[in-house]
Amino acid sequence: MTLRLSIPWRDTRAPVLQRRHGGHQSKAGTGAAAGGSRTSGKVRRREQEAGLKRANFGDGPGLPTLLLLPQLLILLFFFFIPSLRALMQSVLLSDPFGTNVQFVWFDNFKTLLASSDYRQSITVTFWFTVAQNVLTLGSALVLAFATDRIVRGRSAYRTIILLPYAIAPAIAGILWAFLFNPAVGPLAQVLHWVGIAWDPNLNPTDALILVTLAASWKHVCYDYIFLVVGLLAVPVSLMEAAAVDGAGPIRRFVSIALPMLGPTVFFLTVMNFIYGFFETFAIIDAVTKGGPAGATNILVYKVFVDGFVNLDLGSSAAQSVLLMSFALICTLLQFRYFDRKVNYGV
Amino acid sequence: MGRKVAFIAALFGALALVGPAQARVEVQWWHAMSGVLADRLNELVEKFNTSQDKYTVVAVAKGNYDEVTNGVIAAYRAKRPPEMVQIAERGYMTMLLSGAVVPVQDLIEQKGYKVDFSDFIKPVASFWSYKGRMSAMPFNSSTPIFWYNKDHFQKAGFDKPADTWQELESQLYTIKSKGISECGTVLPGDFYWSLLENYSAINNQPYGTLANGFDGLGTEFVYNKTKVVSQVARLKKWLDDGVMQIAGQGFSPEQLFTSGRCSTFVNSTASHGNIERNATVNWSATFLPHESDINSPLNSTIGGGAIWVMRGHTQERYDAVAAFLNFLAQPETQVWWHGATGYVPATNRAYALARERGYYKDHPTREIAVLQLSRGTPNENSRGFRFGNFVQTMLAQRQEVEAVFAGQKQPQQAMDDAVKRGNEILRQFEKLNAGKTLETERP
Repeated sequence: MTLRLSIPWRDTRAPVLQRRHGGHQSKAGTGAAAGGSRTSGKVRRREQEAGLKRANFGDGPGLPTLLLLPQLLILLFFFFIPSLRALMQSVLLSDPFGTNVQFVWFDNFKTLLASSDYRQSITVTFWFTVAQNVLTLGSALVLAFATDRIVRGRSAYRTIILLPYAIAPAIAGILWAFLFNPAVGPLAQVLHWVGIAWDPNLNPTDALILVTLAASWKHVCYDYIFLVVGLLAVPVSLMEAAAVDGAGPIRRFVSIALPMLGPTVFFLTVMNFIYGFFETFAIIDAVTKGGPAGATNILVYKVFVDGFVNLDLGSSAAQSVLLMSFALICTLLQFRYFDRKVNYGV
Repeated sequence: MGRKVAFIAALFGALALVGPAQARVEVQWWHAMSGVLADRLNELVEKFNTSQDKYTVVAVAKGNYDEVTNGVIAAYRAKRPPEMVQIAERGYMTMLLSGAVVPVQDLIEQKGYKVDFSDFIKPVASFWSYKGRMSAMPFNSSTPIFWYNKDHFQKAGFDKPADTWQELESQLYTIKSKGISECGTVLPGDFYWSLLENYSAINNQPYGTLANGFDGLGTEFVYNKTKVVSQVARLKKWLDDGVMQIAGQGFSPEQLFTSGRCSTFVNSTASHGNIERNATVNWSATFLPHESDINSPLNSTIGGGAIWVMRGHTQERYDAVAAFLNFLAQPETQVWWHGATGYVPATNRAYALARERGYYKDHPTREIAVLQLSRGTPNENSRGFRFGNFVQTMLAQRQEVEAVFAGQKQPQQAMDDAVKRGNEILRQFEKLNAGKTLETERP
């Protein structure tokens, strides 16, 4: 998607640059150039203050709108319209073919909140996303820290860590399901051999552990990339000064690098939650199908099953509305409480 | 102007050239078969297409049953449904009351074809009929049968699996204790179908009130008061004692049987093709066991799919559909499909034909499903099931059974909860379809 978005951006941007450099070829061109110089002083100051880059379009709202249009269209068709439809469907009781539709107010929500099944799903989702977040971020931090210590074969090391990102979630899921299958999986055999009665097909806790591991493994590389880049931005002078003062590598990492990674870690926490909420569907589907006994039936998977397998569209829509609200609340809370403590100074 | 005329002339010329092909009416059939079964289905369609020159059926594989169902729902909402669609047995009530289908018996009779609907095998006919009229065309009908490893039973000193669950249990424990195989049996992926629903039919246990839903949408589940509870307890015991294994995700129960790891396996008769191809063991099959206090076990019920005809097409297209459905009902077609796949022949005439030709002498296990389906006189408990949102109630039930397997709930508690959840789902279906009867309006 990033690729597709970047192409129209480049295409429309190129002539603008030409016009600016070409100077007096057309009226529009001069206008743009003049507009640019009029505001540039103020903008540049603001840029420096915020530490952010700022684009400048002199022509009024036309060009920016045009540039935003592809993204807005995508949002319209894949977010706003579906969201609106979900909102509408969530207050309806209807058969899947849509031939029989009844308006039921908030019955779908009431039924949901009263059902033990849904409450279990919320609990499972909570533990799953929290565990996944801690595990993913924790391992990514360790790996990123280790990257600095490796002298030989650093690129090979990095490539291997990034590999899981290239594997489709469904394939990754099947891989993990097979490795830990109690009947035939080699890793399950190892667990049995050390005396752990491992059986994710029967034991709800085992199943939850398995999907958490699989989901984290798939996402570690994402966090890792950001952390490695973040570490590169830590001023060498600071690290050297600490080293001169006698701080060891771990002390330097914990006391200097980590606080400076604050914004990155914060961003990754938000992204991990969103990943856990929405993108782990394929892994659940491949590893446990939400079982056993609903132990891995996370909210997004339940939305799918109720909508596409059970054909209970009203309930499924109500669930997606609630899930979206949870994600929104969760992200807002994170910004509200953690954002202040993050040091954006670097 | 001159150019236009030339163009039109050329167009007519082209039409004249492709004339015979254009005259064929094309209809779509969305199906859920894959692998070997999809190949056979395509052969079947090819047979029909070459047997006459007026109609062409185009078979389109749309994924598994869920995907086909969702596909046809989306297509219907977009007002572009296929003419025919294959839907699994559990979706019967949803399709029947959708208002989006044309009852097949009406269509076939209206188009002047003589199909003897009374000749369909009882549990097949009763499953797909509403008020005595066939609403969908039985296509791939199966029923669960009991597969076993002959060598394992012989080594343990048994001729074959016992007829009753009680004796079978002692056989499986013997096999296990003698170390002949690692597990006596493997939990089927669709155990709710074979070991709970069909179990209830065979052992004459009611599953729901109002004749398992045949008599009205007000039906309620009652399997928490029947032998189903002790059946769940039995499965739990086998699991705990290592007599039964669960294959789990990423691995199929069938593999545990065909590789010789587990001695027995309950599965659809439709897996004949796969087992014949994959089994490395000396296998055979027999009837599903029954309880020892049931003297005359009843018929099992069907699973699989039927072909539904969608509403909203032209009469010309319906001519093609009726011709194809008539072709499917022919004994020759039925016998061919039966032999090619392992699904049961849907009519008595087709079964008699297969018998006559000595087909079962070479393939004795293929007859079991037919015999088991037509055993005894079907009654309220064995005719089949008419529950709305049957997929949803089944998933809730499966979750509760898994809670028993995980040791979280006692069988009685779990079945009580499953019935309670199931009944809420049934009430929602009743509310949605209040006062609804099948529309018999002609297409």
